[in-house]
Amino acid sequence: MGWIQYILINVVETCLRMLPIPIRTGLIVLGNPGRNSPVILTCNFHLTVARVKWALRGIDAYLLVANSRGINVWCAATGGLFTNHDVISVLKTSGVEDLVDHRQVILPQLAATGIERKYVRKKTGWIVQWGPVDIKDLPAYLPRRKKTPAMRQVSFPAEQRFEMAVAWAFPISLVAGLILLPLWREGILPAVLLTWGLALIIFMAFPLYQRWLNPRSERIGFVLFDFGRGGVQLILLAGILLGLFAVAKYTGNFSGLFFARWGIMSTLVVLVLSLDLMGSTPLYKSGLHADRFLKVSLDTDKCKGAAFCEQVCPRNCYDVDHHRHLATQPRAHLCVQCGACIVQCPFDALYFESPDGATIAPEIIRKFKLNLMGKRLVKTVGRG
Amino acid sequence: MSTYVLMKILESAPSRYDRGIRWLTLGGLDRAYERLTTYIKTGQKVLDVGCGTGALTILVAKKGAKVKGIDINPQMLEIAGERVKKMSLQKQVKLEEKGVAELESEKEESYDAVVSGLCFSELSEDELSFALKEINRILKPGGLILVADEVKPEAGLKRYLNWILRLPLAIVTWIVTQTTTRAVRGLPDKIREAGFEIRSTRYNRMHSFLELVGQKPGGKN
Ligand SMILES: C[S@@+](CC[C@H](N)C(=O)[O-])C[C@H]1O[C@@H](n2cnc3c(N)ncnc32)[C@H](O)[C@@H]1O
Ligand code: SF4
Ligand code: SF4
Repeated sequence: MGWIQYILINVVETCLRMLPIPIRTGLIVLGNPGRNSPVILTCNFHLTVARVKWALRGIDAYLLVANSRGINVWCAATGGLFTNHDVISVLKTSGVEDLVDHRQVILPQLAATGIERKYVRKKTGWIVQWGPVDIKDLPAYLPRRKKTPAMRQVSFPAEQRFEMAVAWAFPISLVAGLILLPLWREGILPAVLLTWGLALIIFMAFPLYQRWLNPRSERIGFVLFDFGRGGVQLILLAGILLGLFAVAKYTGNFSGLFFARWGIMSTLVVLVLSLDLMGSTPLYKSGLHADRFLKVSLDTDKCKGAAFCEQVCPRNCYDVDHHRHLATQPRAHLCVQCGACIVQCPFDALYFESPDGATIAPEIIRKFKLNLMGKRLVKTVGRG
Repeated sequence: MSTYVLMKILESAPSRYDRGIRWLTLGGLDRAYERLTTYIKTGQKVLDVGCGTGALTILVAKKGAKVKGIDINPQMLEIAGERVKKMSLQKQVKLEEKGVAELESEKEESYDAVVSGLCFSELSEDELSFALKEINRILKPGGLILVADEVKPEAGLKRYLNWILRLPLAIVTWIVTQTTTRAVRGLPDKIREAGFEIRSTRYNRMHSFLELVGQKPGGKN
């Protein structure tokens, strides 16, 4: 894969980011691996595989591509579309067992919401090691298989924000363009520019208003202003209207129709973009479902300080007290309710608790994953 | 963190899945299952690979056989379990969350027949060859493999026609069930290569759907 091809793949697939793009599952040989070379497993989202291969240029390894229905690791694992069975399947059927002498497989840490280390080991004998969150850290992680706290954490750097902006702007501007085609042709170009401009502003400016985002906001469902006290959209809209006013004044195009068209169009774009703004970042739970009120509770009697939770938490909520053999959650407020810690705790010491005291046991999370859009077959059980 | 739109569609899949599949095959699937299960005899031990919501599993059980249905999707199994209970077939049917890659845990030569409906087309090449090898191992000598699945037509013209016909159907299938299936290429050959003898094949007019009866050599007959 050359530079040009790699860049092209990134551009095209970032635009199509919202769609699953599956590739063939199975074994890919990187470089010239031997019987002790690392075995690395990832999902079958085309872009992810391209990035893993790119990051591992010059490294000899076996890459296993497991079936995640063409969706990225985190979404697929958390949504129950990238499961134990997919991992077991590629381990058993790809032929990798005949190629290496060891039985250690490196999985992306973000897969920990859906793949159970214990289960995979029981069924196959393979030992799962949780690799870094970011693909780019793979080469640094590989030699010693040790992660720094930063390698365990999700972040939302400018690069990723740009990606999300493109991922939203492209489909929205496409749809907007198609809708406007028969209605108002001259409106297409400005609508497209407006969409891209707003998407870039909203995502790139994220650090500026981030502290006003309120993940515990009571509003749910079609959240118009997902911003707690900030009301960034309001400010944005006000800015746009002012801009419109200025343009109208300048061009002498001061009609109700002009304002109606542009006003409605920009309102719609802002609305769609902020529909699930928090959920589009890795830092917050989607603002759209009730799971964001859940809190992870620790049963101190069951906890043995095994620290699996610390290894998989993408928000670095845990510190394990190695003297008392006990997990502590000093940064619990950062939790995104991904469920990874609950799924991985070998002693079932962690569980979800909702504000009204109902609990969701680990085995329910393992079986049905997250309650995406509130349709889990089994609801919360019991009261704690 | 979820991509809202995508997840919304995906999440409700299993409950709509069954209806979608049946609807899309216009009843053809049920007729195929009826024909295949005529090979099942009372008291036999049968494995249903990729049992889903249990349509085929239940038909097999009604023939008086003892069936184990395996599937990787716990939500599907949940629905299958309810159906089995409703028909009071719990004594004959066992459901297990297990994929074809875990067939190694089944005992050698322990089944009289292995059935599978629309599952092979969801497997990767690697999985399919692994599955066929394992099925051969766990069948008793003379045991049967009964398959109903989507296949790729071999003849050129039919292949193109089928591709064109399938495209809208594939899109609808994706919208309704969010799964894509890849029709299997050369299924009879693959089954033969895994050590079976082909007893009969029956294609639909388009050569895109196959019912196959294969047999592991040996046994009394
Ligand atoms: C189209 S459904 C057919 C279900 C059932 N035979 C019927 O006709 O209603 C295919 C099933 O295969 C299952 N499946 C897919 N991959 C599998 C695998 N590797 N091992 C076992 N089952 C699998 C899916 O979960 C799904 O339930
Ligand atoms: S909560 Fe579970 S995983 Fe975390 S330290 Fe305690 S026993 Fe280990
Ligand atoms: S503490 Fe929260 S963010 Fe961390 S792994 Fe557990 S559920 Fe996920």
